[in-house]
Amino acid sequence: MKLLTFMSFIILIVTILTMVFGIIAYFLYKARERKKEKRKQSYDEVLSNVNRSKIFFKEQNFD
Amino acid sequence: MRLLVIIPLFILLLVLAAISMMGLLELFRYSEVFVRFGVSIAFVFSFLIIARYMILMIFSIAKTLEKSADEEHLKIVNKKVSIIVPCYNEEAVIEISLRSLIMQTHPFVEIIVIDDGSSDRTLSIAKSMEYEYEFKSLKVFTKVNAGKAEALNYGIKKASGELIMCVDADSKLAFDAVELLVQHFRDPSIGAVAGSVYVTNQDNMWTKLQALEYIEGLNMVRNGQALLKLVNIIPGPIGMFRKSALVDIGGYENDTFAEDCDLTLRLIGKGYKIDFEIDAVSYTEAPENLLDLLKQRYRWTRGILQSIKKHRESLWNFRKNKALSFVLLYMLFEAILWPFMDFWVNLFIIYLALTSGASILIVYWWILFTVLDVAGAVYCLMITKERLSLAFYAIYYRIFFISIINIAKIFATIEEWFNLKMNWGKLDRKGKL
Repeated sequence: MKLLTFMSFIILIVTILTMVFGIIAYFLYKARERKKEKRKQSYDEVLSNVNRSKIFFKEQNFD
Repeated sequence: MRLLVIIPLFILLLVLAAISMMGLLELFRYSEVFVRFGVSIAFVFSFLIIARYMILMIFSIAKTLEKSADEEHLKIVNKKVSIIVPCYNEEAVIEISLRSLIMQTHPFVEIIVIDDGSSDRTLSIAKSMEYEYEFKSLKVFTKVNAGKAEALNYGIKKASGELIMCVDADSKLAFDAVELLVQHFRDPSIGAVAGSVYVTNQDNMWTKLQALEYIEGLNMVRNGQALLKLVNIIPGPIGMFRKSALVDIGGYENDTFAEDCDLTLRLIGKGYKIDFEIDAVSYTEAPENLLDLLKQRYRWTRGILQSIKKHRESLWNFRKNKALSFVLLYMLFEAILWPFMDFWVNLFIIYLALTSGASILIVYWWILFTVLDVAGAVYCLMITKERLSLAFYAIYYRIFFISIINIAKIFATIEEWFNLKMNWGKLDRKGKL
């Protein structure tokens, strides 16, 4: 009977910890994705950040 | 031999189920209204989970017996198969994946690689593998990036085979996979056949738990569903379709994040039967850490919910298509009801223990489900080619893995309910195929 009581205590603790861990892990995942999204910049955003205009390449004839 | 292992586990399961149910009834009799309500939900939840497990396992056993009694499946079917491989930034895995397709034992195979505007070396690696020899060939096409569904449709247009096989570029096939899948198309009512997916990078606890989940939670379930020819999702890494069926439903659509699930539902809606071949195997790279795993499950959950939402008119309309309504209700149970009930029961158990002391019922409860998982795992591992030692992970599977996944599913469901923005969430490949 003591073993069963001990096991029930352990399972209870693990259940509580798992639920807390599961919720924290989900928000960590969301935070990581948000950070990744911020890191992705479009070409126009990069140009505006460095105050430069677009670069155009001219087609040349090498014949 | 198998029965000698399975039968004692099932007897133990029944005894534990009886003890747990008696414990629940006892609680019900001597408790206040809230506890009675909680006990009722826990009872319904347990009954549904056990019934689902048992039915799917019995169906799976029946399907395996049916297959072994069918001598026709040994005959060679000479149908041409076009294998479509959509890929986007897959330089780490594309070579191994294509090599496994080139080595297929089926003699009539056309491999069509669709590069969906990759920005890495995917296109050049695939181009270097182009060939044509007798009845086999590998062709590579490239297009502007427009998503997986568009890439698959592009490939279907280019395909000349009577059968179309769609595979993921981050997976590799067992050499006899195509040959085994083709045999199912002797039956003209079969519109598609799914294959088994195994995890190849079993090198940490998370990937081992996923390996077990793929066998027990996905492959066994599909084997059971196949008895009714109603497999609800043809997985991305391995699925074969009759080309005429794909043309009939208009190919893939890109309005959900689970294009494979949506396509399967549309096939069922049109009256096609969907089968499963347990011995046709595809090996895939599973997420190696928890956050990547949550990212994958988030997309799967929202994608499945979007597919259910898309076909919601058929949900209760049994007159229109019984099979589709049944499949949709089953998916609704797995996607929403199960995670929410699991979360509720965990909360209720914590409440009970805190208000009335740690109850022994918790132990019976946990052992009941763990024995259920171990019995399922042992059965599945015995009928597949996976290592039996994975059954050990069934203990961790119940105590924390499923709960963590279910929490992510609940959040994904809430976000889908509020229609929050999401993106594809492509995982980084490690090249461990």
